[in-house]
Amino acid sequence: MSKPDIAPRRSFLAENPSVMWFLGLLGLFTLGVTVLAEGFGLALLSTSMVKILGMTLCLCLIAVAMDVVWGYCGILSLGHFAFFGLGGYAIGMWLMYARTQGIVVESLANAPIPPTQEEINDAIATQIFGVVGSNELPLIWAFADSLFMQLLFVVLVPGLLALIFGWLAFRSRVTGVYLSILTQAMTLALSLYLFQNDSGLRGNNGLSGLQNIPGLLHLPQSTIALWFFWASAAALGLGYLFFAWLVSGKFGSVIRGIRDNEARVRFLGYHVESYKLVIFTLTAVISGLAGALYYPQAGIINPAEIAPIASIYLAVWVAIGGRGRLYGAVIGAAVVSLASSWFTGGGAPDIDLGFYTINWTDWWLVLLGLGFVAVTLFFPRGIGGLFDMLVRKP
Amino acid sequence: MTTLLEVSGVSVTFDGFRAINNLSIQIGEPELRAMIGPNGAGKTTFMDIVTGKTKPDEGRVIWGERNISLLGMSESAIARAGIGRKFQKPTVFEEQTVRENLAMALKNKRGPLDVLLYRRSAEGAARIAELAEEIGLADDLPRRAGDLSHGQKQWLEIGMLLAQDPRLLLVDEPAAGMTPAEREHTTDILKRAAETRAVVVIEHDMEFVRRLGCKVTVLHEGAVLAEGSLDHVTQNRQVIDVYLGR
Amino acid sequence: MRLTALLARAAALLILLACAFAMRPGAAVAQTALQPLLQEHRAELAKPSRTTIGPVISALLASDHPGMTGFLRKWEAREVYLRPEDGLFFYAEEAGDMLRLIDIDSGAAVAEVGSREVDQIRPNAGVRREVAAALVPYELNAPDPARRAEALDAIARSAEASQIAPLAASIEGETDPALKTRKERLLTLLVAQFGETKSERLDAIAGLGGDTSIEARSVLNQLTATRDGVATALPDDANIARVLEVGTDLTEAEAHDRLVAAGLAPPRQTAADLRDVLAQHIVDGHVGGVPLHQLDTTAARARAYEALEQAGTVPPRAAPDEVAQAVAAHVFYAEYLQPDPQITQAAEDALAATTRALGLYQTADLVLDGLSLASIFFLAAIGLAITFGVMGVINMAHGEFIMMGAYTGYVVQLFIPDYTVSLLIALPMAFAVTFGAGVAMERLVIRHLYKRPLETLLATFGISIALQQLAKNIFGTQARPLTAPDWLGGAITLNDIVGISTIRVAIFVLALIFLALLLYILRRTRLGLEVRAVTQNPGMAASMGIDPDRINMLTFGLGSGIAGIAGVAIGLYAQVTSEMGANYIVQSFMTVVVGGVGNVWGTLAGASLIGFLQKGIEWFNPSNTLAAQTWMVLFVILFIQFRPKGIVALKGRAAGD
Repeated sequence: MSKPDIAPRRSFLAENPSVMWFLGLLGLFTLGVTVLAEGFGLALLSTSMVKILGMTLCLCLIAVAMDVVWGYCGILSLGHFAFFGLGGYAIGMWLMYARTQGIVVESLANAPIPPTQEEINDAIATQIFGVVGSNELPLIWAFADSLFMQLLFVVLVPGLLALIFGWLAFRSRVTGVYLSILTQAMTLALSLYLFQNDSGLRGNNGLSGLQNIPGLLHLPQSTIALWFFWASAAALGLGYLFFAWLVSGKFGSVIRGIRDNEARVRFLGYHVESYKLVIFTLTAVISGLAGALYYPQAGIINPAEIAPIASIYLAVWVAIGGRGRLYGAVIGAAVVSLASSWFTGGGAPDIDLGFYTINWTDWWLVLLGLGFVAVTLFFPRGIGGLFDMLVRKP
Repeated sequence: MTTLLEVSGVSVTFDGFRAINNLSIQIGEPELRAMIGPNGAGKTTFMDIVTGKTKPDEGRVIWGERNISLLGMSESAIARAGIGRKFQKPTVFEEQTVRENLAMALKNKRGPLDVLLYRRSAEGAARIAELAEEIGLADDLPRRAGDLSHGQKQWLEIGMLLAQDPRLLLVDEPAAGMTPAEREHTTDILKRAAETRAVVVIEHDMEFVRRLGCKVTVLHEGAVLAEGSLDHVTQNRQVIDVYLGR
Repeated sequence: MRLTALLARAAALLILLACAFAMRPGAAVAQTALQPLLQEHRAELAKPSRTTIGPVISALLASDHPGMTGFLRKWEAREVYLRPEDGLFFYAEEAGDMLRLIDIDSGAAVAEVGSREVDQIRPNAGVRREVAAALVPYELNAPDPARRAEALDAIARSAEASQIAPLAASIEGETDPALKTRKERLLTLLVAQFGETKSERLDAIAGLGGDTSIEARSVLNQLTATRDGVATALPDDANIARVLEVGTDLTEAEAHDRLVAAGLAPPRQTAADLRDVLAQHIVDGHVGGVPLHQLDTTAARARAYEALEQAGTVPPRAAPDEVAQAVAAHVFYAEYLQPDPQITQAAEDALAATTRALGLYQTADLVLDGLSLASIFFLAAIGLAITFGVMGVINMAHGEFIMMGAYTGYVVQLFIPDYTVSLLIALPMAFAVTFGAGVAMERLVIRHLYKRPLETLLATFGISIALQQLAKNIFGTQARPLTAPDWLGGAITLNDIVGISTIRVAIFVLALIFLALLLYILRRTRLGLEVRAVTQNPGMAASMGIDPDRINMLTFGLGSGIAGIAGVAIGLYAQVTSEMGANYIVQSFMTVVVGGVGNVWGTLAGASLIGFLQKGIEWFNPSNTLAAQTWMVLFVILFIQFRPKGIVALKGRAAGD
């Protein structure tokens, strides 16, 4: 006879212990960092270290999004870092505008005659755009003075771009490597556009001084770093929970079906393109949010961040961490990005071979590239796959 | 028996090769129909056209009481209209469990939002259990579909077809690679399904077709060569020449 | 200073010409000695200055002495010496540590002296230019064609009315046909500018129509040069080029600026001026009765200024409506510098004809540019297309194979200094190296990933970053030179506009060779047959005794080898860096995607489309190649919408859908 009809309805978390574990560990990690951080008093972790950890959490969030779009839905997007960057630009515009406004108002306060609004605006525009030889605010900065509007853009701009691009691409049934190349082309076009001085976003100077949060200038960076760390941890926790819920149920079943056999899903009556579009757009929006949290911690954003190579690295993290399992993406992003900064930042000791000294700043990329090939060949399930084998062993 | 699907005057050309040549076929509801013919006769292409995978150069494909043309519709829309298809090679989602496979196929709303907010229900579970029973996989529901035997995969795919609750089933070589006992079971499933709906079966194995005991359509070079009972068509001179062997 | 020099020179030339013509019949003054003539101007000749030398030269040339031009040339070249003890001029040649003085008239050696005993005469650059200009008419008939050509260059550099007569006179005796054509053209140019009669000038101007040389264009541009004018009514006597409409041709602010510049209106008061004026009149926290804290709007500031104005503390200012009135009361126009309307009209007509010809040539030049870009893309992409088409594998390391080829060329040049020989060796070497690398990569990595194309993409990307960094570690981050042999160094030019560097022609030829070679291999050889069989149906091919592994390996090797050769070609005109491959990889992808997979012609079509389009977009916006690339990529994304399988698409079941 068949098994009991249906498992009694339990809470989502109870059914997915791995999500519980993840959230628990993330909570512990956050607590640990908080206690050790400079902003809290113990000062065993420097502020810059807290920032790096906070940024890493943001990278983990976009890696989770990448895992959903690639590991679960099978779309190897080489464009999600572009959405990340767009989110960063959207919030960066407000940060830069509001901060410059503060500086301008302060400097004009001592003038014999109080400044008019136009004078303030002109001064802000000159201050921001003098570097690209302009003294006018471009149209896209129309709402830069409003935090609310720019936060809306953090979601809307990547979302709309993903929606339009995805609609065009999926509609004409571009799949597989073609789609990857097309997303790469989109990223390239965007970064080339941003590199231009008349892009309205300061060309290759990018936006800078983003670590200074208007209205919070009286607080020390150590406190602000901690706040952003908490926000990043919360975003990662919520994002993880959301995506875990998304991929666990029937929806997850359908998108994994699309990954494995798109045509079959279509003949089951599902409009495959809509599903892909939903996933593509949703993950783009989350990527934008991750970027909006990342760049205030990084302090600067420029078009080089958006270059196609960044998105490929994102895919590399997810592949090394292990596709099709969300914690794999987190592990991959954290391990590889932290290892990268350790190796290239001069943290790793040189290895003296007698006839040649291996300097890791020079050789890290070689190691990463070859290591990545090895992972693809021998551990297609990545670190997360190894982890699975350990946990599932009876 | 009313006409459910009417294909008339359909032709399709691939790179100068005429795969389907002025083909006309009518399928009633309920009906069990076997389709036979040599390789390249256009059997699979016929299914491709009906399910929207291939667009014909000319001709009409009319569906249901309201005489809807299927030609302008997407594959998924055609599937939702009530046409289910089983491919020649068993295509189930190997990474997912039998239950997930069946659940995905269950007749429910197919929009992304509907699916996202879908909650498992007692009726759904009951229906899945019933289907599993029907296809002999009742004990295998939690198993990974990829771990099933070849025959079980074929059944699972037929089960997924039934789960869609279609009015027309297109089944491409369901018995390929099955043991005689499995074939018998497959015949039973198909015959039972045909009691309430239209079922079109492509098959090479004459014994299997005979056991189905239904009207047979013989295709050759993209057109209908003969139609009628199995005995009738096997007497046909032309059929013997082009298909049954000289 | 400059003006007086010009006047002096013009005067000198006039005198000179007058004398030359006047004295020609009785040129029997000859055969007196040169030295006495020189002595008359000893002071000026010994210490020449640009301001005074003009009349001296003309006087000397007026003597019509046959040795005079020769002397002046040597004098100008600092080969003349003055002996202070008797004030005589000598030529000299070196004799050991001494100088051997040579008599100017007889050419005989006179004495050997130490270099301290004579003064070398050193005319400065300004003086030498004067002399050269004065000598031009004589040079025009010089026996040496090179000197005649130099003289023509000198005329072209600084054209003057006085040159017409000698130039015209020299044409008949010209023996060199090329120089004769040049002289005739130069004469037309001169007549167009300085001709004596109007009809003569009009004819010459008409003759310049369609001439795209820079000289002709600059003459026409000079003739049609305008200056901006403003007046209450259009002047009758001026040669008006066009009347400017305020609002369309120039903004009101620009118009007002012109009025101000012409002294026809008082300057506008800017917001900053207003603020500064107000700041000077702060009294007890008020300006004109308005409290300071209220002065943060333009309206309040205007109110304060009016109050001050009424109190008489500040002068009235031009209000916006006054600006509009002033502008409306005047007419703005552009006026030809050339007063004669017939001449300007003729010049405009000729210029229009030239512009048309120019457009034609520019189009031709654009086509050449596009062609050469297309051949580069073709070379860079064809290897990728082959591997993608046959194996369905995207090789992200393809760009690094291009780089490896270029570095191979560089290394070969380190060992073989002769650039021609090293190039001939580098091409097969690059092919061999990258062929080997490709085969190794296929065997070690790609073979194990055939069922997982997306992972191939990523694994090859891993190889790509490793190779790039490896190249950086070996060769450094600096760009390395890959020098082309001399015979590839020049350019083939049709005229001032249409031209193409030889190296690009060579790349075009190389692309053609590869096109032909690949077509031959794929259509006429056993390998090609097997490759096509594996492309269309690997299973069937295998069952017919073709070893797909071997074919895949060879195909991959071939594709990579071509990338290596493309690397040498690209390295010849671009710089060899570890990142050069990355610059071409995306374009190569787009070429393959646009062209359609698995077809040599498709790649050719894709490369042509992308190459020409990129050049075309650059032509619209030449200053911004980034924008061109942006548009290019957007175009490709849209193109895929309409032809998802590329220009040359496989149809039906073979397409694998």
